[in-house]
Amino acid sequence: MPAPSKASSGVPPWGQFPAAAPSLLRDLPILMGGLAIFYGLLVFARYGVGPVNTQAEIQLDPGALPKYAFFSVTRIAIAYCLSLGFTLVYGYVAAYNARAERLMIPLLDILQSIPVLSFLPPVMIAMIGLFPHSQLGAELGCIVLILTGQVWNMTFSFYSSLKNIPREMHEAAEVYRLSWWQRLWQMELPFSAIGLIWNSIMSVAGAWFFLMACEMFTLGNRDLRLPGLGSYLQTAANQGDTRAIAWGLAVMVAIIVLIDQFVWRPVIAWAEKFKFEQVESAEPAHSPILDLLRRSKLLPLAARLTLQPASEALNLYFSRAAASRTGKAQDRDLTRWTWRALMGLGLAATAYAVFRMGQMLVAVSSAEAWGIARGAGATFLRVEATLALAGLWTIPVGVYVGLRPKLSALIQPLAQIAASVPATALFPVILLILVRAGGGMGVGSILLLLLGTQWYILFNVIAGATAIPTDLKEVCDIFRMGRVERWRKLLLPGIFPYLITGFITASGGAWNASIVAEYFRFQGKTLSTVGLGAVISQATDAGNFPMLLAATIGMAAMVVTINRFVWRRLYGLASTKFKLES
Amino acid sequence: MNSPAADKVHVAISHGDWDSAVATLQKLDPAEAAELMMGLAFEEQQVLFRILPDDFAAALICRFPYYHSYVLLHTRSLEHLRAIVNKMPPGERLQFLDELPGEAWQRLMDEISGEALPAGGEGVAVEAAGAVSKRPPAVEPIAEAVQVEKSFLQPDGHQIQVIAPTDLSLEADTITALLGPSGSGKSTLLRILTGLIPPTKGIVLWHGRPLHDCAPNLAIVFQSFALFPWLSVLDNVETPLLARGMEHEERHNRAVRALHAVGLQGFETAYPKELSGGMKQRVGIARALALEPEILFMDEPFSALDVLTAENLRGELMELWLGKKIPTRSIFLVTHNIEEAATLADRILVLGRNPARIRADFRIPLKHPRNRNSAEFLVYVDYIYKLMTQPEIEPALPSAPAAKPPYPMLPHARPGGIAGLLELVNDRGGKEDLYHVADELHWEVNDLLPILEGATLLGFARTQKGDVEITEAGRAFANADIPTRKVLFRDAALAHATLLQQIRISLASKSDGAMPLEFFRDILDEHFSAEETQRQIETALNWGRYGEMFSYDAESDKLSLARLEHASDSKRDLLRQS
Repeated sequence: MPAPSKASSGVPPWGQFPAAAPSLLRDLPILMGGLAIFYGLLVFARYGVGPVNTQAEIQLDPGALPKYAFFSVTRIAIAYCLSLGFTLVYGYVAAYNARAERLMIPLLDILQSIPVLSFLPPVMIAMIGLFPHSQLGAELGCIVLILTGQVWNMTFSFYSSLKNIPREMHEAAEVYRLSWWQRLWQMELPFSAIGLIWNSIMSVAGAWFFLMACEMFTLGNRDLRLPGLGSYLQTAANQGDTRAIAWGLAVMVAIIVLIDQFVWRPVIAWAEKFKFEQVESAEPAHSPILDLLRRSKLLPLAARLTLQPASEALNLYFSRAAASRTGKAQDRDLTRWTWRALMGLGLAATAYAVFRMGQMLVAVSSAEAWGIARGAGATFLRVEATLALAGLWTIPVGVYVGLRPKLSALIQPLAQIAASVPATALFPVILLILVRAGGGMGVGSILLLLLGTQWYILFNVIAGATAIPTDLKEVCDIFRMGRVERWRKLLLPGIFPYLITGFITASGGAWNASIVAEYFRFQGKTLSTVGLGAVISQATDAGNFPMLLAATIGMAAMVVTINRFVWRRLYGLASTKFKLES
Repeated sequence: MNSPAADKVHVAISHGDWDSAVATLQKLDPAEAAELMMGLAFEEQQVLFRILPDDFAAALICRFPYYHSYVLLHTRSLEHLRAIVNKMPPGERLQFLDELPGEAWQRLMDEISGEALPAGGEGVAVEAAGAVSKRPPAVEPIAEAVQVEKSFLQPDGHQIQVIAPTDLSLEADTITALLGPSGSGKSTLLRILTGLIPPTKGIVLWHGRPLHDCAPNLAIVFQSFALFPWLSVLDNVETPLLARGMEHEERHNRAVRALHAVGLQGFETAYPKELSGGMKQRVGIARALALEPEILFMDEPFSALDVLTAENLRGELMELWLGKKIPTRSIFLVTHNIEEAATLADRILVLGRNPARIRADFRIPLKHPRNRNSAEFLVYVDYIYKLMTQPEIEPALPSAPAAKPPYPMLPHARPGGIAGLLELVNDRGGKEDLYHVADELHWEVNDLLPILEGATLLGFARTQKGDVEITEAGRAFANADIPTRKVLFRDAALAHATLLQQIRISLASKSDGAMPLEFFRDILDEHFSAEETQRQIETALNWGRYGEMFSYDAESDKLSLARLEHASDSKRDLLRQS
């Protein structure tokens, strides 16, 4: 079905009304969708400004699920929008201001390595302090918490896209004097769109993963719970209510699949046009939903009445403002002073924070420090064991599937659905089975880490095996290479760059996931095992800030060190020696 | 050559005292003076010739090769040209005219009799402006670069100069071509002129005002097109108009007109990726023309296209320009293609390398459209080839702060290319016209120059007046079998190429015969930019591997002699077995 994307251009907006009846019918779902979203926002706003109720009774009745699901989706959506805003500002400044870049990128690296739960106490206390009398405080805290789990990789993606805009394209924008506004919309956003979209998908998946931890937690003597799907599942697990767990899981998977079909697929198909390629690709992505939207009469009409005049006016406004700007030198002087003042303030604040942190860290006893070191070692071993296990099954399976195009066309969508189920939601089920089988938290945590991270490796291996050129495979056939030789000479080197990419993502994910995998409340008991993640979770629960700080620093240091010294080097090797030049 | 008079002339020139150089020349016998002058660099010849008295110029001119005389004559005003030709000794004038190809003869005849004025009116007679002449140009230039120079600071604190102080002006009604080998800084100069890159020193003026104080109406056509793939053809062309704050209707009309001009009507809603390379560049040109720029800058606009498409597009551009269908007043074209420059340009600037500077600045007074097979056209092409292949003289920079002697550069030629060139020349009897060589091998001057430099450096060939001539050593190389060639190549390279000598000596001085490549990279870094260092290393590895001078292990990033012996041992074993 060809998508007549511009079929209705050139028709006056109010023309052809009588003939539009069937298309009006087609537009009905779109109209209703818009109204539903509006109503939802209204409900959420009313609840948000309502009185404080952080001890909401979570009902395990399946009838309450739609409401909870709606709250969770709204939280994730708001957190995502905030992430996007942060990403655009932070990435833009880091990419274009060389001085800021030197500070902002390492900072991003560190922030990325801090697990979500470590942000919990400061964020929550700050937010509740800001809005002590309305639900807004707790809600905002939860949203910011979700944000800290999803924003960093998006920012990195946007920053590196900006850095990769071809030189001549930048020069064209400069020589043709595009205003910053026009540059943003016609060059920078389109160029970074695809990377940003894929990272958004990953980020939202991450939000689902940490949803349970974000919606329900104890902070010192306070027990906070916000109505939502995550707290529903958590409560169900606490009470050991298998039926409720099953219901919650089913709803969550359904929502994830729906979002995938109704949001991500259309967006990916739409983003085809942002591919930076010189020739048209043979198999563009498709989405029936996008086709429906494109065939709609209502949307172009709405766009022509609102978006187009607005964008025209804004573009002209910024162009003319840029053209009439004078006194550049003064401007530059001003920005230089602002910059210096900001730098001074930042330095002072950093120095003060480091001083206070030092004071706080003194409170950590040597026994506690030993506990952190032991936990770090244990988690390190656990993460590496997980990666090894994951590699052990995903490499053969991934290569087997990747070398067979028909099979991979069949398997990929199924695997994608399996991968989209957040492992944390499955955890109660797995623990249930493990407890019955007599296994402990030690095995369980590895299993949970595995569930959360194996997919990154699997998908990358499949992609790598698919990308091995046919002629190289034929060479192996002609020389009648044995299985071992074939793996050594072709398959392993061929998938190496993809494998490394997969391992890097999986390693980062595993460290972050250890905070939920090593410490779990289940059937009224707290199950935990030795590990850095468990230390962090425990410190959060107990409101033991010095311990939390020390453990977080420990984890950030571990992750950054491993990235620098292991993964980055392997990545360098992968992108030089093992790169398959087409 | 090293007569006291020659020394005197050289000294006078290096002090910029052209008048005393002329005085010295005039005291000599004309034959001797002519020979001395031919030994000078082209840019110096040009300046000298422009200030020679007519009588003396007439006495000298008949002793140069005819095409050389022809080009030099055309650096003078029409009035002087006539006077000089009139004052030539009759017998020699007859011989000079006799040697000229038909069309060149016709033109000269017309010029002497004052019947036809060449394209651009008296423009031909306007003396070449710029660094060489040191006189103000007769016409008020649109854009002017005054003593611009560019240097980059290396991480280790070394300054590397990529563009030497340069004066350059762009006048109305002229297509100016900037010609130079790749990596010579042509594009950097274009970016300085357009304000994309600030010069390290000097200033760019636009109608006499500093560039950054006015918003000059200029446009660039890029080598890679630089279109936005997510915008339709129409939107791409409208983009710069929107940036100027133009209302929708006017924008649309202008864009459609520009697209019409380049033959893209009907493609408004297409996306760039649906178009062929030539069509994409048409969009690039339309986008530039829609702005109605005062000067149109083109940065290698045709070099990403195939030969036929490029030819076609050049023709259409000339049609627009000559038919005055575009309000553009001047075109500045950067290219490495000699024929392209000779076909399009009214004025050609030849750029030298390391650092970039203008070696020659002359006009081509041929009428448009030019016939590429006309003998007169070929005279100019020959002349440019000769210019570009003549070894560069080191720029005399009296003010240079105790600069280190420049490190001799390895030309970026592959040994296979050098062998190919020598074989061809050898087959042609040992001497061949460079233009023919390039034509025969389908090499552009970009490919030819480094190979020629390589062959010359190794002592296998020499260039003379636009010809390449094979030497004894070169003949031996061309006739040898492959193993012998490797030996000859190694001996020649170790005798002449400084970098390879250094590598070899350093390796031999180590007990294990191995050294990290990083060591040599550091040495080169002091003399070259990062990219140039990389290219030097690549060339050295290429030459070293071909001549089996040393081996390189990518894994340990080390150069060594050891593996080589090992390899030759095993080769000997193989030979023994067979």
